[in-house]
Amino acid sequence: MDEYPNKGMIEVLENKAQWSEEFRAGWLAHRKETGISNWRIYNRPVNTLTPGLPGIKLSESRLLLISSAGAYLAGRQKPYDAASAYGDYSIRTFPVSTPFEALAFAHDHYDHDFVDRDPQVALPLRHLEQIEADGNIGRLAPSVISFMGYQPDSARVVDEVIPEIVSHAQADNVHAALLAPT
Amino acid sequence: MVVAWNAGLIRLVSTPRVVITQLSRGMVFGQPGDVAQQHRILNKALELLEQDAPLEPAYLDEGIEESRNPT
Repeated sequence: MDEYPNKGMIEVLENKAQWSEEFRAGWLAHRKETGISNWRIYNRPVNTLTPGLPGIKLSESRLLLISSAGAYLAGRQKPYDAASAYGDYSIRTFPVSTPFEALAFAHDHYDHDFVDRDPQVALPLRHLEQIEADGNIGRLAPSVISFMGYQPDSARVVDEVIPEIVSHAQADNVHAALLAPT
Repeated sequence: MVVAWNAGLIRLVSTPRVVITQLSRGMVFGQPGDVAQQHRILNKALELLEQDAPLEPAYLDEGIEESRNPT
C-alpha cells in the first residue's frame, strides 16, 4: 500500500483547461467589457486531491521562503504592476539577508500599515535567521522568492509563476518551502 | 507549507500542510511588534514540515489584540 496518498504527479490546479475556459468566459470577459472586477462570478480554484509528502528533518534541510506580499528591492528592481486589474505574474528574488529598509512593497490588495510597521509580519527574515542560527533549520535558501499575490488568472500562475519558482528552488537545492500568502 | 488567515479559501485548494490563524490579511505571521506571537506561528509552521502530509489544517488561536492595533 502506498503510504503517501496521491503520490506522484498531481495537478496543481485540477482541471486547469476547464478552469481557464470558465475564467476567460466569466470574470475575464466581464472585466474587459465593463472595467469592473465582479468577484461574485470569479471561479475560485478548487482542488479535491491533496499530495502526500514525507516529513523532513528541518535541522538538516534547506528551507525556502516564498512570499506574495509584493516585496522587491527598492531602487534596484522594478516594482510589480500592483494597479493592474489582471495581475502581475512576475517574480523577484532577493537575498534572505536583505535588510528591511532595502525593501519596498507593491501590492494594492492589502493594507500595508502592518508590514510598514513591522515587515516580519509578512517576511519573517530575521526570525528565520535566528532559528537557523539556533540550529533548528539546516540552512535557509540564499534567496527569498517574492511575488505580488493578486493574480486572478490561476492558469497563468500554474504555467508561468510556479515553473519559475520551481526552477529557483531546484537551483538552490531546496528541501522545503514556507509559503506566506498576503 | 502555507501559513494563512483565511480558512475558507485555503481549504479549497487542498494544501498538504497549512497553519491557519485568526489574524488578517497583511499580518500572516502575527501582529506588528509581537515577537512572541510571530515566533509561535512560525514555529508551528516549521513543526508541521517535519510531519508526513497530508495533514489536517492546524488552527491556531492567534488573533488580533485591539491594544496593539487600534482602529
